Amino acid sequence: MAKIIIDNQELECREGMPVLRAALEAGWDIPHYCYHPGLSVAASCRLCLMEMKMPHPKTREMDWAPKLFPACQTPVRDGLEVRFNSDVVKTAQESCMEFFLLNHPLDCPVCDQAGECCLQDYSYKFGRAESRMVDPKVVNPKKDIGPHTLLYTDRCVTCTRCVRFTREIAGTGELCLVQRGSKNEIDVFPGRPLDNPMQGNVVDICPVGCLLDKDFLFKRRVWELTGTSSICPGCATGCSIRVDHADNRVYRLKPRYNPKVNDWWMCDEGRFGFKYTQDNARIIKPMLRRGREETSPSWREIPDIVRFRFQDHVRASSADKVVAVLSPFMATEEAWLLIRFIREVAPEAALAMGPVPVEGEPQAFPCAPPGAPSMPDVKFTILEEKCPNRRGIEQLLEVSGGTVLTFEAFSEQAAKGDFTAAWIVGGYPKPWVEKDTAKLGSKFGLLVVQDLFENKLTEAAAIVLPACAWVERDGSFVNAKGLAQPFERAISPPDGAMRDGQYLFEIAGFEGLYSGQRVRELMAEATASLTEVYEAPPIPAHAH
Amino acid sequence: MSWKAIDRNQAVVDADAPPLLSEGVREKILSYTHRYETKRAALLPALHLVQNTLGHVSWQAMVEIAALLDIQPSDVFDTLTFYTHFWTHPKGEKVITVCRSLSCEVLGGAAVLDALKARLGIEEHGTSSDGQYSLVTEECLAGCDHAPCMLINEKLHKNVKLDDLERILADGDNDRVDMPRSDLFDAPPVAESKQPASATEDDSRTTDD
Ligand code: SF4
Ligand code: FES
Ligand code: FES
Repeated sequence: MAKIIIDNQELECREGMPVLRAALEAGWDIPHYCYHPGLSVAASCRLCLMEMKMPHPKTREMDWAPKLFPACQTPVRDGLEVRFNSDVVKTAQESCMEFFLLNHPLDCPVCDQAGECCLQDYSYKFGRAESRMVDPKVVNPKKDIGPHTLLYTDRCVTCTRCVRFTREIAGTGELCLVQRGSKNEIDVFPGRPLDNPMQGNVVDICPVGCLLDKDFLFKRRVWELTGTSSICPGCATGCSIRVDHADNRVYRLKPRYNPKVNDWWMCDEGRFGFKYTQDNARIIKPMLRRGREETSPSWREIPDIVRFRFQDHVRASSADKVVAVLSPFMATEEAWLLIRFIREVAPEAALAMGPVPVEGEPQAFPCAPPGAPSMPDVKFTILEEKCPNRRGIEQLLEVSGGTVLTFEAFSEQAAKGDFTAAWIVGGYPKPWVEKDTAKLGSKFGLLVVQDLFENKLTEAAAIVLPACAWVERDGSFVNAKGLAQPFERAISPPDGAMRDGQYLFEIAGFEGLYSGQRVRELMAEATASLTEVYEAPPIPAHAH
Repeated sequence: MSWKAIDRNQAVVDADAPPLLSEGVREKILSYTHRYETKRAALLPALHLVQNTLGHVSWQAMVEIAALLDIQPSDVFDTLTFYTHFWTHPKGEKVITVCRSLSCEVLGGAAVLDALKARLGIEEHGTSSDGQYSLVTEECLAGCDHAPCMLINEKLHKNVKLDDLERILADGDNDRVDMPRSDLFDAPPVAESKQPASATEDDSRTTDD
């Protein structure tokens, strides 16, 4: 630890970290564009200039050096004294801001970034009210640089964050900075568009409205959005994300800083992977089937109906003929509630976990450049396991004891007619019921299916319960590394549906409102080890 | 979309085109890589070599250089365009460079540029139809005390007047540098016979030490 002085205040921070980062984390709002904690230091925007004390060349006494230094490139050393609150620094910031706006089109009213734009914020806080530029502005072109991204060159401040991202984190290096001086532009090599599995991050780190996400383009003003902390269910990595929503609709997902998992990044598959939650084909009402007759009971009746049907069944056959198949898309808390219910009505019930979707190979980033002798340090991994909570469910099955089956063993026994009653949870974004699984539908006297979309199993089920998407639920997921992380509810389920946690809570015999936290407290007695969750520390909004 | 955006998804290099760089040039570029710690460091000498051999560095040449040095074509594009010395399309026999910096600007540099554009019928970075002249602008040519200035190849024309332009353009020696040179300057290489066969690729003083 080193002690430094910023604006007359003493601060303790890690030796060697950039002064800018230390100041930002301690709450100073220092303007900066090119510095990003996840990227190498470029020190090109000159917005973070500060004054620093140095020994006077003649007297050796410490005094303010006449020149300014970029705070992003100055490492913390013990005893360092700097200041940002002097007139010299303020004038430098003002001049920089004037420079950045020289050719800027000032088209905030039609710009997607407006409301979360560092040009806007800094102009307001550190800039001057009017431009002294009398000459016509240089007008730069807009470029379609890839399947997901647009580049409005005229809004660019050439901080090169985006370029450094594609070189250092994605490793694909599609972006480059062409020309020099006033002709500087971000570009790609024609015909080699920005198209890699991590490219969406360049839009997040662009401090201005230059790089834009085609998917979100002109959809919503950002100040109308509410952000909710969540975890991406796209793969077992479990990136921390923020769900941005308005009017009960999700508009975009953004990564949230998490030093233990994803740092500042997320992949495109996760970023754009929420579309299924808005599919009109989703099951939104509970359904009861008796022979050909289908009815839709009210949610108030559901707990009793489910409980009585299972109890009847156990009485008629036997408790070891009951099985519950949990899904790796369930939150640990929801799965615990279901297990609790099943083992209560049928203490000998078997438990299993549904299929774990696997696609391709894990992808590590930065990807090795062509011909590189060795793999660079891995900064991000997209896993081949495309579900968020296999580990959580496995841990739960382990502590629950009793008969625990693999999905294959369950399928085999079910096909032989070993089970008379089953509760099967789906909740997979993609079709998951394979041919063999579809045949199981007719093998149970009582089949309860909880799923997002209709399939052969829901068609055969006596009771169908709508599953909700993760943005409509709350609970926790345990990622591939065993880290349990909570996610919050961003929006309400579609009209007619109820969050899984809530009806499972009621079916399991509890009263009141479900919340992940509440269930974790209930779980604590039995399974303390599963109730600790890790929440990434928030970073101040100005330290983007 | 109601506005125009340049479509960067369109390829400019035909993937099936036969290689542009000759075997000799390729070998030469690879031989540069041994001088440096990383392969990519050989990019500048490679660009010089290609420009000197082909007259310019085309999109396809960029892709081929990138492949040789294990970097992305965008890296080559990035470095190349930083230097106005490199051309991405063929240039004329002589290159006229008009100064666009401060002293020249206030003393009529823009008028010189406009007159040249009109006379040659080209815009900046264009080449006249007879292939004689290409026109570009550059920051300060370091002749501010004689502004406005322009270069024809390496010869600096100072105090350029509009009614003098015709004469300058007509002069076949307008790019001849009349600098007193040592008599060694144009002297033939010492042992001519010992020069490698690819001597033409070697005339870049910046590339070869
Ligand atoms: S596009 Fe954005 S991130 Fe890239 S250089 Fe310009 S301002 Fe910076
Ligand atoms: S120079 Fe320090 S943030 Fe850009
Ligand atoms: S300003 Fe034109 S030569 Fe310097």
